[in-house]
Order: sequence, then C-alpha cells, then structure tokens
Amino acid sequence: MTALHPSAPIASSDGDLLRQTAEGSRSAFSQLVERHRGAVWALVRRLTPNDALAEEALQEAFIAAFRGAAGWSGSGSVRSWLLTLARHATYRHVRRRAGEPSSFEPLDELGAAAGWGQPVPVDELLARLRDQELVRRAMSRLDPDDCDVLVLRDLLGHTGPESAAALGISLNAMKSRLHRSRLRLIAALREEGFDA
Amino acid sequence: MPEQVVIAGLGCGDVLGHLSEYVDGTVSADLRSSIEEHLRGCDWCARFGGEFSAVVTELRSTLKAPSEPAPDISARLANRLDELFDE
Ligand SMILES: [Zn+2]
Repeated sequence: MTALHPSAPIASSDGDLLRQTAEGSRSAFSQLVERHRGAVWALVRRLTPNDALAEEALQEAFIAAFRGAAGWSGSGSVRSWLLTLARHATYRHVRRRAGEPSSFEPLDELGAAAGWGQPVPVDELLARLRDQELVRRAMSRLDPDDCDVLVLRDLLGHTGPESAAALGISLNAMKSRLHRSRLRLIAALREEGFDA
Repeated sequence: MPEQVVIAGLGCGDVLGHLSEYVDGTVSADLRSSIEEHLRGCDWCARFGGEFSAVVTELRSTLKAPSEPAPDISARLANRLDELFDE
C-alpha cells in the first residue's frame, strides 16, 4: 500500500488522488482541483448567466466532491464524475424549464420546429448561435436530460461511448437523445422573439 | 411540407433521423453512402442537412470558446473547505 505517502513526487492518477482525498488529504484534493478546474469552469460558465454564479456552482461542485470522495464508484473517469457534480450544482442555481424530454415528441415534429422542410435562410440562426448568451438561454429551455447530452457531446467533446456511460444509457439511446436535443435547441433559437 | 421521397432506400424522415450521426461521422459506411445518395437526389434534405451541419459546427464552436476561471478561484475554494471541514 502506498496510500500513506501523500507527498510522493510522482504524478498520481486521478483515482489515487480521490482515494487520498477520501482519507482526508487536502493536498491530494488540491491537485485534483488544479487538474480539473478548467473543464469544470468551461461547463458551469456556459450554463450560468454570469461569472459569480459560475464560480458558486464550481465551488459547490468541488465541495460536493470533497465531501463525497469516498462515494466515488471507482468506475468511469474522475473527470466525468466531477462534471456530473458540476452539472447538478449548476441546475440548483439556474432556473430550469420543466419541459418534457424531447423523446416524447415525434421526430418529424421536432424536425419541423427546427426548420426541416422550410425555406428559411439559415444566416440569422447562425448569427444567434454565435451569441453565447442566446445559446445559454436556449439551452436553459431544454429538459435537463436533453441539456446534459449536449453538454457532454458538444460542449465537453466527450466521445459517444463516454457520454452514454456518463448518462447511464445505451449508445443508441444517447445518439437519439443527442439528435433530438440538437433539433430542440435549433427550434428554441429559431423561435420568433426569442431574444426580445 | 413537400412530399417525402424515398431514395437509396431512405425516406426523408429516415435521413432526418440520422443527421446527427451523419454530421458526427458515426454512421456505418453503408448508411453514409445511402444518405449521400439521398442528399444528391433530394433538394429538401440537402438544404436542411447543410443547414443542420452548419448549425452543429457553430454550436460546438460557441460552446467550446475558451474561458478561464479567475486565478484565485482555487484559493477561495480552499478557504471555504477550511471553514467547512477544519476544526
Ligand atoms: Zn429527402
């Protein structure tokens, strides 16, 4: 057992650091924070309207991680686990629409709302997509499950299998949810008067 | 909505259903070539497919735009942990 050498200079794995954290090592936890705060920030900042709320969500996520270190399952990556905590922390602060998941809606209706079959110029939609704040507001209108899959695949760039594992669903279910979520997001951004 | 067509064994609704996988490059080679054949023969799907692809690219670049936490964020976190967990 090497767990009693917290000052060992060799880079420890995330899992080792988390186990040391569970044994009360603040220095191990600090290393985890330094490794992952950039990714956690990227997530919380995109889902919250300002830096102050983003920081609050980040701090709550890491506090939850410190508190719950012993509860980490040991399977999956520590980063995914931290990002899950960060998503949950964010959702406590940002008002979420209680929309129903897109999985209940027929695909052609989702498509129609996203402009399928309508000769509408896409330029304005692309302009809206370049506006961070508009995209954040459109995402806040999604069902949380729909939002999660966009965060994992399009924000964090996780692979399909990683995202499916993080969500606890099959790869095919993840793909379907991702597609429906993108159509929903496009529909939200297209909605007339959305930015009014 | 225009009448849907079937090309390469795929209806327009089938193409709509596979667009994310197509854009993400996670469809099988067979399905990819069927989708491409459909897109070549169907203006409706070609137009929406092109828009969808542009939208997903733009969405990703917006979501991934770099953003850095304040440099002292770790110190503030350490202070809170001190308050919460140290006696
Ligand atoms: Zn078609």
